[in-house]
Amino acid sequence: MTIAVLLKQVPDTTAKITVSGGRVDQSSVAKWSTSPYDEYALEYALQLKEAGAGDLVAITCGPDRAAKMLTDAAAVGVDSMLHVVADTTEMDSKQIQSILAAAIEHCGADVVLCGKQAADTNSGSTGPGIASMMGAACVGMVSEVMVEGDSFSALRASSSGNERVSVSRPCLFAFDKASTELRRPNVKGIMMAKRKVIETVSASDLGIDMGESQVIIESHDSPPEKPPGQKFEGADSVQTVVLKLREEANVI
Amino acid sequence: MEITIIAETSGEGIHPVTEQLVGAASSLGGVITVLCPGGRGSDDASVISGVSKVISLQGDCFSSFDSGSWSTVMAPFSQGIVMASSSPSGRELGAQIASKIGVPIVQDITGIEPGYKVTRSVYSGKAVETSSLSSPCVVTLRQNAFEGASGGGSAEVVVVDNSSEVSVSVREAIAKAGERMDVSDAEIVISGGRGMGDPSNFSHLNEVADVIGAAVGASRAAVDSWDEIPHSMQVGQTGKTVNPTLYIAVGISGAIQHLAGMRSSKYIVAINKDPDAPIFGVADYGIVATWEDALPALKEELGKL
Amino acid sequence: MPFDALDFYDVDSLLTEDERMVRDMVRDFVDKDVLPEIEHACRDGVFPDEWRVTLGEMGVLGAPLKGYGCPGLSYAAYGVICRELERGDSGLRSFASVQGSLAMYPIWDFGSEDQKNYYLPKMASGEWIGCFGLTEPDYGSNPGDMITKAEDMGDHYLLNGAKMWITNGSIAQLAVVWAKLDGVIRGFIVEKDDEGFSAPEMKGKHSLKASVTSELVFQDCKIPKDRILPGVKGLRGPFSCLNNARYGISWGAIGSAQACFDSAKEYSLSRIQFEHPIASYQLVQNKLSWMLREITKAQLLAYHLSQKKDSGDWIPEHISLAKMNNVDIALEIARVARDIHGANGILDEYPVMRHMANLESVKTYEGTHDIHNLILGRYITGIQAFTRETS
Repeated sequence: MTIAVLLKQVPDTTAKITVSGGRVDQSSVAKWSTSPYDEYALEYALQLKEAGAGDLVAITCGPDRAAKMLTDAAAVGVDSMLHVVADTTEMDSKQIQSILAAAIEHCGADVVLCGKQAADTNSGSTGPGIASMMGAACVGMVSEVMVEGDSFSALRASSSGNERVSVSRPCLFAFDKASTELRRPNVKGIMMAKRKVIETVSASDLGIDMGESQVIIESHDSPPEKPPGQKFEGADSVQTVVLKLREEANVI
Repeated sequence: MEITIIAETSGEGIHPVTEQLVGAASSLGGVITVLCPGGRGSDDASVISGVSKVISLQGDCFSSFDSGSWSTVMAPFSQGIVMASSSPSGRELGAQIASKIGVPIVQDITGIEPGYKVTRSVYSGKAVETSSLSSPCVVTLRQNAFEGASGGGSAEVVVVDNSSEVSVSVREAIAKAGERMDVSDAEIVISGGRGMGDPSNFSHLNEVADVIGAAVGASRAAVDSWDEIPHSMQVGQTGKTVNPTLYIAVGISGAIQHLAGMRSSKYIVAINKDPDAPIFGVADYGIVATWEDALPALKEELGKL
Repeated sequence: MPFDALDFYDVDSLLTEDERMVRDMVRDFVDKDVLPEIEHACRDGVFPDEWRVTLGEMGVLGAPLKGYGCPGLSYAAYGVICRELERGDSGLRSFASVQGSLAMYPIWDFGSEDQKNYYLPKMASGEWIGCFGLTEPDYGSNPGDMITKAEDMGDHYLLNGAKMWITNGSIAQLAVVWAKLDGVIRGFIVEKDDEGFSAPEMKGKHSLKASVTSELVFQDCKIPKDRILPGVKGLRGPFSCLNNARYGISWGAIGSAQACFDSAKEYSLSRIQFEHPIASYQLVQNKLSWMLREITKAQLLAYHLSQKKDSGDWIPEHISLAKMNNVDIALEIARVARDIHGANGILDEYPVMRHMANLESVKTYEGTHDIHNLILGRYITGIQAFTRETS
């Protein structure tokens, strides 16, 4: 019985993003981090492992630098790590999902945890897409998961609050921010991580022929500059401001 | 070209974003079919202008959300470009349908043009991506980014009674906890300062916060002055650093220590009776008014949305 | 948001991957657990007990010691730990320095096998806190003339005297106390409940407020015979401990300096005067540029020293130079940072005044700035200038 957690390395949410030559300049990103929602997936994956639900493998698909994230995961207790080395920046959702689904199969995992979306693409396609490929039950917007005998109980957001749901293997949980504390490694874990070897493969090692991306990125651009601040007199202007928040700023 | 729209429902009816999906689809030109999971909102959908057909999916599996079984039933009806809302359930369902019909998905688009060029915001809004779709795709659309279609249509409603094995069983619904969100987690934060006059007046901030699902914060001046306002609410240099999409500062002058905790908010609204308050220097929208006048109006206007 | 530490020459890239992982772990602890609490701790004059627990859980106490449940890290890693802790507060770093370098180290190096097995595991885990008694009310820079003495009573030792300025004293379960036995300085392990031992806390500090400082008082204090450290005689004992602690301080001071630089940079960019950020004015840029220069030099010094410590190719004078220089520049950086913050610099909203006040102690303890100068003076000339005697 194996549990897989999918991790993606993304520019730290505080990192400055620069666009040059019609693409986000990856080389100018000062700090790379594990995508925040993935960290909650990792925390709960560790809890499932500790509850005896299976061994835990951390999987990522990305360039060489993404290996650091797997070592960090090893330091908090992941048993093994698989790194599919590939440049995912121009891949469409189908290509990424087929690689990760093959990686999960390669590890023999039937329980998968991931973030509900990655902080760079902000999409949220990977989890449910992979669940579909695996024929696994898919639970999104998860903030808690527990093992209950042969099945799992999860808390997910619903339109009216939360729902407690149960699923059996194979299953996939896509995590929202949870209220749990994320664990910190300790020196022992770090020394142990040093000795764990990351299995490194390519997409073709996994037998994947990805074909061409069907979504061609034409360009990246910097977002339009915000207009200068506007000041209004009197409470009567509240209506105007609310309208602008909706139509100009698009935040409510 | 066929366009299939996954209706976004709200309770037993249709969610207004569905009209925006139809509006976007109409601008591309095409035959529009709306799929209504569980049959919810079928009648509403049939009167949206531009809709050719509504398929009311009545299978048992639609009684609770299970993107796996829903998509199994919906995939055969998902022809051409498939559009859904980029709500959490829309994204999940869209991704499952894309996988089942073997096409890619592009999520949370804010623009679409004929020839299927789509734009979306990436890197937490720090860049805009424009892509072209070389084959039919599933796309999810950001709410309020597209003009809604008007009423007055009269599409036929076809009832289909297919179901699929449900793999996610709902055991218990848990109502939203009354507990207020933490300022560091919230997408919208409304904060009060010493200008609120008295800690009991924070109830007015709470009322506005309830309308828009915001967290309530405070300046250090407020936290230091009033024991009723806990340090956990403090935004600023020695409090929390927040990064919401919308920050509303009420009765906060805007000391540099406060600005340090909130200036990276995407949009800032300031309400202050002093037109020279430094907070207006960082505000995208400033309202020179007392909180006593502005907050009831704000609550009312936000309530209308 | 993780702290973005100034590292202009990317000196941390010279660390090993696990050393950087240790850095990130401690940095995260400081960001999430220490900084939100530090001002309260200072105001109340306490060292939060949760920090002891977490330091033990992270496994960083006694960092470079091997075996007996100790972490077994490199001296580079130990330095990085001190730097990250002191970025939070010098009092926090002092706690770790005293525990690791001054209390665990002498037991590890000079203790009997039984002493090591008994004390070290529970000190590494943070269960027991240790302190170090060398300085006396009248003997600071001149510990060799200490008054505290031990007498061999046959089946036990009897300790009499007093120690002062003892970090962790009142919260410690044990003290490593240096006292003269028949005129020779020896180390003794004194436990909290030993008869005739008390450790009253010293109050009223304007510096290291989140750290406990105490006196240790021995009035016919009875110590079992097996509590003497068998492995060392003379000042070499306490000085070996101090070498390690001073080494940690040379790294720690960089953390304080980085915190002050970061705050000054952020403040100067957001503080508008005469319609422009003060960071746009040449006098402010000059200050920031000087800070960057000194921090970068201090980092290179500390890193190189770490490599010498790890290879064993070092002399105490190397450590004196690093301790003296890095604390000196950190204190000056804290003062200049306070200046850049203007009046706001005196508020507890910013860390600069706290670091500044802390560093005044750090400049004085573990060999004052001037004593380190004299150590280097003796190294250069061969002439000691500590006393008026010629030797």
